[in-house]
Amino acid sequence: MNPGIDLQQRFTETLTSFNIPSGAAKAIWMPVPMLLMIFGATVGVLVSVWLERKISAAAQQRIGPEFIGPLGILAPVADGIKLIFKEDVVPANSDPWLFTLGPAIVVIPVFLSYLIVPFGENLLVSNVGIGIFLWISLSSIVPIGLLMSGYSSNNKYSLLGGLRAAAQSISYEIPLALAVLAIAMMSNSLSTVDIVEQQSGYGILGWNVWRQPIGLLLFWVSALAECERIPFDLPEAEEEIVAGYQTEYSGMKFALFYLGSYVNLVLSSLLVAVLYFGGWDFPIPIEQLAKLLHISPDNPILQVATASLGITMTLLKAYFFLFLAILMRWTVPRVRIDQLLDLGWKFLLPVGLVNLLVTAGLKLAFPFAFGG
Amino acid sequence: MNLGEGVQFVSFIVLAVMMIGAALGVVLFEKIVYSAFLLGAVFMSIAGLYVLQNADFVAAAQILIYVGAVNVLILFAIMLVNKKEDYVPVAGRWIRKAAAAFVSAGLFALLTTMLLRTDWKIDLSVPLPSLPIEVMGEHFFSDFLLPFELASVLLLMALIGAVVLARKETIMGEETAIVGETPAPVLELPERPREPVA
Amino acid sequence: MLKFLNKVGDYAKESVQAAKYIGQGLSVTFDHMRRRPITVQYPYEKLIPSERFRGRIHFEFDKCISCEVCVRVCPINLPVVDWEFNKELKKKQLKHYSIDFGVCIFCANCVEYCPTNCLSVTEEYELSTFDRHELNFDSVAMGRLPYKVTDDPMVTPIREFAYLPEGVIDGHDLPSDRQRAGQRPEEIAKENTPSSSGSAS
Repeated sequence: MNPGIDLQQRFTETLTSFNIPSGAAKAIWMPVPMLLMIFGATVGVLVSVWLERKISAAAQQRIGPEFIGPLGILAPVADGIKLIFKEDVVPANSDPWLFTLGPAIVVIPVFLSYLIVPFGENLLVSNVGIGIFLWISLSSIVPIGLLMSGYSSNNKYSLLGGLRAAAQSISYEIPLALAVLAIAMMSNSLSTVDIVEQQSGYGILGWNVWRQPIGLLLFWVSALAECERIPFDLPEAEEEIVAGYQTEYSGMKFALFYLGSYVNLVLSSLLVAVLYFGGWDFPIPIEQLAKLLHISPDNPILQVATASLGITMTLLKAYFFLFLAILMRWTVPRVRIDQLLDLGWKFLLPVGLVNLLVTAGLKLAFPFAFGG
Repeated sequence: MNLGEGVQFVSFIVLAVMMIGAALGVVLFEKIVYSAFLLGAVFMSIAGLYVLQNADFVAAAQILIYVGAVNVLILFAIMLVNKKEDYVPVAGRWIRKAAAAFVSAGLFALLTTMLLRTDWKIDLSVPLPSLPIEVMGEHFFSDFLLPFELASVLLLMALIGAVVLARKETIMGEETAIVGETPAPVLELPERPREPVA
Repeated sequence: MLKFLNKVGDYAKESVQAAKYIGQGLSVTFDHMRRRPITVQYPYEKLIPSERFRGRIHFEFDKCISCEVCVRVCPINLPVVDWEFNKELKKKQLKHYSIDFGVCIFCANCVEYCPTNCLSVTEEYELSTFDRHELNFDSVAMGRLPYKVTDDPMVTPIREFAYLPEGVIDGHDLPSDRQRAGQRPEEIAKENTPSSSGSAS
């Protein structure tokens, strides 16, 4: 495997060539991936909000945003600017500290989870060994923030929404973790890079979809539930409990919730792409082609090409699932809370356990195909 | 002190202060919800300390289990219980207070002696395992098998106990309201009397 | 044991069925995405109101005989007819006539019963104002004719459902020479005059 592009090394080398000590160069490098992550996630959200509005419009034979920029592409930006300048209302008799802290606690873990999303072999913020497990554990913090904002709003709908959100979130984390566990078992690692690496090499046939179709279904359903998307959007079911825990929020705090939910959706789509659809893997093995054409793997043009191809492939796969989620939104009605918990505990959990067992058995029986 | 050590030192101080402050808050706050939220903060800071010690798996597990499950359940219980009770002065309360003070002092003394007695030097000659998760798994299934299994049995007992407690069997389709008699409370199905679990 | 297995089988079958139905629903939604938006982009595009459209009421001052039939047939006695008996002419003379379109329900009963046809309905429906009292139209305001949608150079007229050719359900991108479904009035008239064509038998 070729090392690809090492951005950090290049960056520090460039800085040291300007007579900056290497320690300072590293210190300058440190915030760059973080800022890049926040920026990338926000742009991803803007794109997905626009897609959501456009695809929803198309599914309902409408036009959608049209005049704000070409094809209405600036509509989410306009939304964001509006929310930033809106008055920040804190309801009477609420708990101002918890009320302010709630949205932050909801948003921060979601953004942090972007650490582990790989766009290429070296194109991720940090290749931590626990990889995908970090995402699962970080997403378990979110219900605390939801409970906090639900409790502090001094509103019964908010409290109900917060409780629903927390219940939903902790019940669907288990099938989600089980689905991820089956993948981790097959690739002998929790690291997202290793998981993608293990899938690449056989083109489309190497992807985990073919080995884990049930796992994909489990993962996708639980991810939708974690993101509180229709059909699982009970915490903010507007016909029953106004807007759930978001009822009392406005301005930037509401924008944080909004941002958090879309970041979470994009993140889940990215992880579906990474875990089941080979991440940055292109169906045609570029490296072998390059070898055939006698281009050395250190060729900078080839490296840039593979890197951009990897990013494009990851995003394409991820946005396909985002599209599916939006389509789902206009297809299925909302489930009831008892149906939701029934589905989580009585269907997804046993199916996940059986899936795990079967995967373990298959791994022992056919180690060549299921990562021995 | 280079950059890495400096960052480590500063974050250790921050985490330690956060942990102690939050722990004090858990004990001292009047409002139980604040205590519960601060408990989450305590767990988070402990996870941060684990990260500082390169135990990232343990840190993630700490967050997943303690923050994501235990703390959320505590909060759930607090928010679902809507009962206000006035404090009634208990006769002989000083006995309880004295006992609590005794236990706390004893615990503090024990931990202090433990801190002073322990040799904190780390043997750096032993290399760190490359894959800590695998090492942990091996430990779980060899020398720590008994506590591991006992913990799972305990969880199973808790699970079954929760099912027994939460089970509510209602009798459906029975005529209850008869004209002339006091009607049964509306919107509530009669509950089947529960047999004591043998 | 067999019973249990049957139950499991039924459950699995139901799950598969549920998945199938969700898939069907998704395909329906997906199919909708390739259809043309039916949106009429209002200030730039406008629907041509149908022939029987009951819009703002038009009033011809000189035809009115101040009989007050319109007031009597109105469900809320809305038209205000201000007249004076002219002793020389021995006729009622209309001084003022007004209808408040903020209150009118556009039932067009007045138009139906007006003996001199001085009232008629127009196709005007854009009655938005900043003050509701501006909707109280007097005889001069009611005497104005609305601007036709088809004459407005700023507006692309879109044919309404009633004007569409057979089988077409969207007024966008229609060539202007496509005739609406059914016969035009002059064609019906031609068919019904026996002498000219001789086809009627």
